[in-house]
Amino acid sequence: MSKKDKLSRRDFIKVSAAAGSAAAILANLPSVQQAFAQTTQSAEGVFFESKPENQIYTVCLQCNTGCAIRVKLLNGVAAKIEGNPYSPWTLWPHPAFDTPIKDMATLDGGLCPKGQAGIQSAYDPYRIVSVLKRKPGTKRGAGQWVSVPFDKAIEEIVEGGNLFDEGNVEGFRSLYAMTDAALAKEMSAAVTKILDEKDAEKKKALVADFKKTFADHLDKMIDPDHPDLGPKNNQFAFVWGRLKNGRGDLFKRFVGDAFGSNNANGHTTVCQGSLYFSGKAMSEQFDGVSKFSGGSKFYWQTDTGNSEFVIYVGANVMEANYGPPQRVPKMTEGNVSGKSKFAVVDPRHSKAASKAWKWVPIKPGEDAALAMGMIRWIIENELHNVKFLSNTNKAAAAANGEKSWTTGPWLVKIKEGKPGKFLRGSELELVVKGTKTDAEGKEATIYTTPDGVEYGFDPFVALVDEQPALFDPNNADIPVQGAPLASVTLNGIECKTGLQIIYEEAQSHTVAEWAEIAGISENDILELATEFTSHGTKACADIHRGVSQHTNGFYNVIAWYTVNCLVGNPDHTGGMIKGTSYDYTGAKAEGPFILSKMYDGKQTKFGLDILRTNTTFEKSTLFDGIYPTKRPWFPLATDLYQEDIPSMGDMYPYQVKILMTYMSALNYALPSGQTVSEILADPKKIPLIICSDIFVGETSQYADYIFPDLSYLERWELHGTHPSVPWKVENIRNPAISIPGWPTVQVYGEEQPLSTEALMMAIAEKLELPAFGPNGMGEGVPFTRPEHLYLKQVANIAFGEKADGSDSVPEADDEELRIFLDARRHLPSSIFNADVWKAAIGNDESLWRKFVYVMNRGGRFQDFANAYKGDLVANAYGKQINLYQEKTATTINTMTGKTLQGYASYLAPGLSSLGEAIEDKGYDLSLITHKIITMTKARTISNYWLTAIEPEGYLLMSASDARNMGLSAGDRVRVSSASNPKGEWAEYDGNRKPMIAKVKVVEGMRPGVVSFPLGFGHWASGSTDIMIDGVTIAGDPRRAAGFHGNAAMRVDPHLGNVTLSDLVGGSAVFYDSKVKVEKA
Amino acid sequence: MALEPKDVLVRMHEELQRALKKAPGERRWVMVIDLRKCVGCHACTIACVAENKLPPGVVYRPVVEQERGTYPNVSQVFMPRPCFHCDEPPCVPVCPVNATYANEEGVVVMDYDRCIGCRYCLNACPYSARTTDFGHAYTDNLPMADGLIIGRETADDYERIPNFEYGKEWDRPGGLQSPVGNARKCHFCLHRVHEGELPACTTTCIGRATYYGDSNDPESLVSELITQSNAIRLREELGTKPKVYYLV
Repeated sequence: MSKKDKLSRRDFIKVSAAAGSAAAILANLPSVQQAFAQTTQSAEGVFFESKPENQIYTVCLQCNTGCAIRVKLLNGVAAKIEGNPYSPWTLWPHPAFDTPIKDMATLDGGLCPKGQAGIQSAYDPYRIVSVLKRKPGTKRGAGQWVSVPFDKAIEEIVEGGNLFDEGNVEGFRSLYAMTDAALAKEMSAAVTKILDEKDAEKKKALVADFKKTFADHLDKMIDPDHPDLGPKNNQFAFVWGRLKNGRGDLFKRFVGDAFGSNNANGHTTVCQGSLYFSGKAMSEQFDGVSKFSGGSKFYWQTDTGNSEFVIYVGANVMEANYGPPQRVPKMTEGNVSGKSKFAVVDPRHSKAASKAWKWVPIKPGEDAALAMGMIRWIIENELHNVKFLSNTNKAAAAANGEKSWTTGPWLVKIKEGKPGKFLRGSELELVVKGTKTDAEGKEATIYTTPDGVEYGFDPFVALVDEQPALFDPNNADIPVQGAPLASVTLNGIECKTGLQIIYEEAQSHTVAEWAEIAGISENDILELATEFTSHGTKACADIHRGVSQHTNGFYNVIAWYTVNCLVGNPDHTGGMIKGTSYDYTGAKAEGPFILSKMYDGKQTKFGLDILRTNTTFEKSTLFDGIYPTKRPWFPLATDLYQEDIPSMGDMYPYQVKILMTYMSALNYALPSGQTVSEILADPKKIPLIICSDIFVGETSQYADYIFPDLSYLERWELHGTHPSVPWKVENIRNPAISIPGWPTVQVYGEEQPLSTEALMMAIAEKLELPAFGPNGMGEGVPFTRPEHLYLKQVANIAFGEKADGSDSVPEADDEELRIFLDARRHLPSSIFNADVWKAAIGNDESLWRKFVYVMNRGGRFQDFANAYKGDLVANAYGKQINLYQEKTATTINTMTGKTLQGYASYLAPGLSSLGEAIEDKGYDLSLITHKIITMTKARTISNYWLTAIEPEGYLLMSASDARNMGLSAGDRVRVSSASNPKGEWAEYDGNRKPMIAKVKVVEGMRPGVVSFPLGFGHWASGSTDIMIDGVTIAGDPRRAAGFHGNAAMRVDPHLGNVTLSDLVGGSAVFYDSKVKVEKA
Repeated sequence: MALEPKDVLVRMHEELQRALKKAPGERRWVMVIDLRKCVGCHACTIACVAENKLPPGVVYRPVVEQERGTYPNVSQVFMPRPCFHCDEPPCVPVCPVNATYANEEGVVVMDYDRCIGCRYCLNACPYSARTTDFGHAYTDNLPMADGLIIGRETADDYERIPNFEYGKEWDRPGGLQSPVGNARKCHFCLHRVHEGELPACTTTCIGRATYYGDSNDPESLVSELITQSNAIRLREELGTKPKVYYLV
């Protein structure tokens, strides 16, 4: 590592100030920059803010909203952050994309307080600048570190050895067992055959065959008796917290394509897993042959700016969500002008509730009861949108002026009272199965009607004029509009439409009963339902983690999406919409860089992932017919953050030997996080832990090695979009600053800033992995520094989605190019070098200028007027929506052995993994959490401007509860639960942090419920002393202040080492725990 | 011709450029805060701190939060409180050294070079809009360890770089040089305004609750708003004649 001489602060400012206007710096500039830099002289000082040369456009990451920002620089220091005025996140309407940037220099967009305070995340004194290694002879979590040169650290983690005086530790080389992609491909095909074999005996025989065929290579497998676990490469697992595209593509290329591991897992379920995976289940499409697949892991939100009435359910839309700068202006304007109004369903009187037409303080976890009450009332009063709900297929949707259609009118077979699969034409003898030979001589199964109409599959059935009618969901020419509500017996088969099944579920209780279950009044449901059905398609329910982070989260979510479909609002202006971003992969335009093809080779990864998501228990060789399984399998979800470490702890389905985490505070962020710490602390369970982090955080304190990373203001990422943004966009995070003295390292002979990219690329270099290196992106196309990928992605965005280039942005003119270069004059050449950058996109002058045009605007944003086409959004979802889900209905819950329900249903909240109610006697208060706008979970505690507003987390309690318990504001209380009766965070030996909170008493809280804001009460992240090389780094008590109550959340009583989970949608459960509150 | 929709920030930005073409004495800067639109996010507070490099204890524009009512009939009120730039400012006559005064644009400003830090003005302001700069930094006492962590001396650059209040460069190298030791207050971000930028609190406002402009311009947004029937000023009975209005 080259440790640059660290400049003192005052010297640094002086030097850069001089350099800003001096010719001295020119000598160090690459040629492209020189040409332009000589033409300009930028004035520093008093008027610095308003000059475009002192502004870099990038993207915030203080939360996941990803607002486009503009960093204003004074002598290379980030002096101020503002909203990027080109962006729909910060101005409404956003100005035209082709406005010259010099005209934008003084126009700032709106930005939340966290966005403003981001400077303090970047300039955090506690950020580490050297690789840290757990001091040999000390335990994980003990806070004892030694600094290690980067190259030595890479050597150690790759080669392994006796690294901690605890015996041999396997390094990456030892897990890089499968190196031959061709062999892996053969093995993978053999494994697929094993998985697909239904007969147990034949399956065994196939395993025996596998062992014979690959006898010479069984040492590469995790367990030759279970080839479906895959190669040892899978024993390296990468787990990330906040990761977006761009950087995400590089990381996944490293883990999967280069190293060949199937274990690259995100954090989705700690945020709103069941929102994403219900979206996936609802968006599975019929593949035209036999199955439903291709569902997107996504969710819908409201077109906030055009809705006339929105019900925000468990969506903290003015303090968190995606996100306040983008959504709040539309809501406040709607309120004051009278153009729109909204209701808030939340046990807590949020800031949004303070502006709402109606606040409904529902019981936590009973969101589906309210939805089911509304469904019943709406259908009973015939206020549902029959036209929308009758569309069975694409053609029918088009005929009715819609883009999307639902499975609501499809007929479903009912067996012994339970809905199962969809009815098919052959079952009514309306088609005859046969075969047909196509032009290429291939034989295919077809189904033919007596009239000679052919289907490539057994067609689905709807009721048209009370008669069964066949249809193809994807057919764009033959519309079939079926009865949405019907119950019928055909050919002796009992059938109901999908919507009928849902309606009958809604009819299982009266509206008054649903209200009672939800803990609200019948009138609340009537008022909401009346208003909701009074705005045509411009009414929408907007739901978020308050709905999804329960054990019944999946069903809560689909119940609310069903409410939306009842008024037919999908894809409508003011209805429920999806997010759309520009293609950065080059696939749509087939260039300029088709990134999926830019490889010198890649691994064939195969085998079961540690979260048990990519195949089913029943197909795997682990299947023994016994339920419950040791841990649950998740065939409908992925990225189960709460399952990562406990699965590693149980070594189920196999042991993970190297864990690498990125921007991840698992034990801090997860419910019952203390169970995670316990496993992380044990090297026998996970022998090597490597964390990428910016400081020694709650999780990285358990690392064996911590590699320092860049902050969001110093690096690249494509932030993408969110569903409430109707415009097609892409936000480009790129380096705005460099920390003075930041270390650089040599990887593939290139000087690079110390970063997560450098870590991965150095491992790739050492192991000579494919997909990286001098020919990493194909013969003669290097991938030796991260810009080689990121800049191509940005160039693709600039080029647009049409092969002829007609979707390109304009080329930057000389003035814009000058500003682009000048604005980066403070960045060291390891971060910005115009020659290197231009070469990374092929030294094409035209493309370079388009690239610069996009970079100068911090991304690409569709023009305001182009997001709508009449009453519909231009960037529409436009597909089948599964109100009834055959795939879900045929999926087995491996903890109960029973099939799941495939439609909006009411399930009680707070059940164990075995589906049993949990009685925590003596623990009578419901614990929930909330976010305040000044804090984002684990990563904003360093922002002292924000903690000056709200210095610590508290326990929020209703005034009536406080009175009954004799508590008043500011009293200190201890919070405990049945699974944490002592009420403490039990961290590494001897470090116990009691869960003591100050009480905040409000009227705006449902009695019986207590809450706390996430983000406070740290025990690492600069809050406590650590020792590096014998030097004590004193912690700052401001970061430890206040309450963090995740450890009080319920541990699953059956599994014992993990929080409660939604086994269908995957959510980690934040809101179904019961606690006791006692004066401390 | 159809009316082009426009973010109020864009409209006010255009009006600002128009106002700057006038002689300073011909403009009258006012601020309007729509309490119906304020969502209590505190972005204005932090944007102001960031813009003016305010140290701990110095806040120009706090937002006061208050809960009213009894469950389940509850409301929350959020009230940002900048300096009101009174036409009859009680802080001005009490200053023994004439360090504070209303400038020709009507903005109550500070002359840091004259201020002796007596704090009479702090007591005189009926709105508590002034605070004293005691010279602290948010990064005070944080650790340093060269080669191991970024450390205080590099990390506090953002706090130590100069601010540009009143169009001058105010360095904070440590020690007692102005504005340390002085009274400090909101100045409507005149240094930004003169450069054609709206005040930091105004541009950052995610609720679009804060409006700024020239009330001598009859076409300006603020001129429209301050004559609305729901426009009020705080404590009119004191005769201070604030230039900050609230819409309620």
